[in-house]
Amino acid sequence: MHVDNLPVGPLAAPPSGDREPTGAQPVVTARQVTRTYGRTRALTGVDLEVRAGEVLGLVGHNGAGKSTLMRVLAGLEACDEGVVTVRGQEVPRDVRPGAAEFRAVRMAYQETSLCPDLTVAENIWISSRRCLPRLRWRRAASAAVQRRLDEMFPGHGVVPRDRVEALTLARRQMVEIARASLVDRLDLLILDEPTESLGPDAARSLYDHVRTLTARGTAVLLISHRIREVLSVADRVAVMRDGAVVADKPAAGLSEDDVLVLMGAEVAAPADPGPAPAAVPAGDRPVIAELRAASGHGLHDVSVRVGAGEVVGLAGLAGQGQQEVLERLWRPVRKDTTVLGSRAYVPGDRQRSGVLPLWSVAENLIVTAMRGLARYGVRRRAEEAAAVRSWVDRLAIRGGADAGMTELSGGNQQKVIVARAFASTADLVLLDDPFRGVDVHTKTDLYSLIREEAANGRSVVWHSSENAEMAHCDRVYVLRAGRVVAELAGEEISEERIIAVSFAESTEAPQ
Amino acid sequence: MTNLVVAAVPPRAQLRRLAPAMVSTIAMFAMVAVCASLQSDVLTVTGLTLILSATVPLVIAAQAQMMLMSVGDIDLGIGNFVGLVTVITATKLVSSPGTGMLFLVGLVAAYALLGALIHLRRVPSLIATLGASFVWLGLGLFVLPTPGGSTPTWLATFGSWAPAGFPAPLLPILVASALVWLLASRGSVGVRVRAFGSNPVALQRAGLSPLAARVVAYGVAGALGVLAGLLLASQTGGGDVSSASSYTLITVAAVILGGGSFRGGNAVPWGVAIGGVTLGLVSVVLSLLDVPSNMQSAVQGAIVLAVLAGRVVVGKVLR
Repeated sequence: MHVDNLPVGPLAAPPSGDREPTGAQPVVTARQVTRTYGRTRALTGVDLEVRAGEVLGLVGHNGAGKSTLMRVLAGLEACDEGVVTVRGQEVPRDVRPGAAEFRAVRMAYQETSLCPDLTVAENIWISSRRCLPRLRWRRAASAAVQRRLDEMFPGHGVVPRDRVEALTLARRQMVEIARASLVDRLDLLILDEPTESLGPDAARSLYDHVRTLTARGTAVLLISHRIREVLSVADRVAVMRDGAVVADKPAAGLSEDDVLVLMGAEVAAPADPGPAPAAVPAGDRPVIAELRAASGHGLHDVSVRVGAGEVVGLAGLAGQGQQEVLERLWRPVRKDTTVLGSRAYVPGDRQRSGVLPLWSVAENLIVTAMRGLARYGVRRRAEEAAAVRSWVDRLAIRGGADAGMTELSGGNQQKVIVARAFASTADLVLLDDPFRGVDVHTKTDLYSLIREEAANGRSVVWHSSENAEMAHCDRVYVLRAGRVVAELAGEEISEERIIAVSFAESTEAPQ
Repeated sequence: MTNLVVAAVPPRAQLRRLAPAMVSTIAMFAMVAVCASLQSDVLTVTGLTLILSATVPLVIAAQAQMMLMSVGDIDLGIGNFVGLVTVITATKLVSSPGTGMLFLVGLVAAYALLGALIHLRRVPSLIATLGASFVWLGLGLFVLPTPGGSTPTWLATFGSWAPAGFPAPLLPILVASALVWLLASRGSVGVRVRAFGSNPVALQRAGLSPLAARVVAYGVAGALGVLAGLLLASQTGGGDVSSASSYTLITVAAVILGGGSFRGGNAVPWGVAIGGVTLGLVSVVLSLLDVPSNMQSAVQGAIVLAVLAGRVVVGKVLR
């Protein structure tokens, strides 16, 4: 049965001459690869080479293009221009998931690609069916995943009969990594933030296993924002910035600061005093919203204060607790949260939770403000129309008030969504990274709108994954792993500083 | 210590998953007990045959519904589809068996095609199957405007088959459920279908076709619908396109009672069999209790709600 071909121990590598670890020939290379989504240029000409038997670390800040590059290298997506070769063979333009060229390239996804309703063994069948027998595959898959998990994560506690749904996050991640590595021939294993939900012991044993993989000639591409971890595991580190690889250096002799500098951080910044931000006064403004040492649901001891008329930024890597802070402010049900006044929320994913696609621009714009304008629960059309007109003019929304929402371009839709929040009477406007993929002109319009509204006494809490945007804030909280690791104000706010503090591990106690 | 904790987790999760079907099982046995207390002959082979026979086509149609619900879709056309099959069985299958068989195969293909259409055109399954249900109804009325016809002798023989040792209706219920279980729960085809219902992105990343998964689910549902129609015709001895129109929603209830969900990703063939039998028995119990027939639907609905509420309570307790 094929499943027995799955390499078991460090010595089980097929002894083929061209797979000498010392040969270090490239497994996957990308040359001048570009990829554009709509107006966003995710990759602007990437050159990268992953060689057999090495661990290549890939680091970069939000939106640097890591995920897109990985999807291209794993054959999930084709690139627009440039050439991707796997083992010297050029990959055709119309590559699709499951293409034969990419069979030996496997990826463990950060958010996992497991089916929650299926058992672990069934999930293994989905991804490794080509190496499993047609009959009794369930038994073979169970044995294979059990053995691989025992190798990778001793004491993992996963039973192949378990449904993925019933596993903890850490165990799901273990299964995902084991799933990716279970194939009869593995040339490149891509690990996307593999240790994000693993404990320190599991992370250590994973990296031990990575070492045995590379000793057999497999290449490993490790993506992580834990720079120290990357430096300690990787042979080579590639740094991405603005859709391109800006540096590609041996890990030996590279320090955390060096990597941060390459990523565009300010050198002196990592010496930041620490998490406890000295009570930076929000001026003499009255506080309208406050989180006092909020913990739980992904937050640890987070204190945030928002003054009236203040624009407060929430920065840091994606998913470090910024959304949770917004969520707390949006629904202040806990004792540790105080919000005075009304709130409006601008969601980041406009397609899923922002737009009412069947409605017109005017209806989309006014829906939140409608209740405030109405008298005795009866809508006042004239006032509504006037408000809509003024907002459409003010933000220069193309298409006008009567256009269908879906006829608008993404940027204009975003203008409507933002205007909806500001057209209401809300005292506190929460922005959840609403300007992703919006063109520059629209952004500029919206930035000035935010400043104007703040000058009128409104408070804004603004989460953005684009650090440059934070320059428009009065104060910025940088979050990492659910903690506020820095509070920057005024002149201190710069892209470099934010990158530096959001990656700096020195301030964080090892868990 | 941690090993103990680890060992304790899966059974509880499994228990939680099986809870709905267990509640339905209890309800089923409770109903058999009520029947038996009112009419002691129920527990004989003949009695069980009588009370179970009406549930046979319902259970198989519910298996068809489950196939669609396992990909996260709902079939609003299954009732009329089963009715159409009885009509074809009572007319074409009698007059020219070859053509009749061809028609039935064509109906299965039509279901698979419907699945492909839903997938490729991104039509909500609710709308597509609702539209299809009127097509089935129209075709049925066209072929046989008034109920009637006769069933082929082999089918009639099967319908009146009465073995001595066990109630005959149990056989098709058990065989069909076992087949669906092998296909949907044990086989790799079922893994594809359920994976599609659970996480289509993962399916696609693994290089498997979501379209194929959906078409297979619809094709199997169509085949089960044809089987349900044949069995219904064997019991009624004729064709009537509206004879099974109540199945549409009862099958959905049967799947939910059996532990399925609207979310997709789950296949619960044994639970569906139990849920279907439970729902079929409700009307038997009500007629034995002399509930006026104009009240029966309301009482039937109340019983379904009670069982579902029991399921929710058990789910909460197990959390």
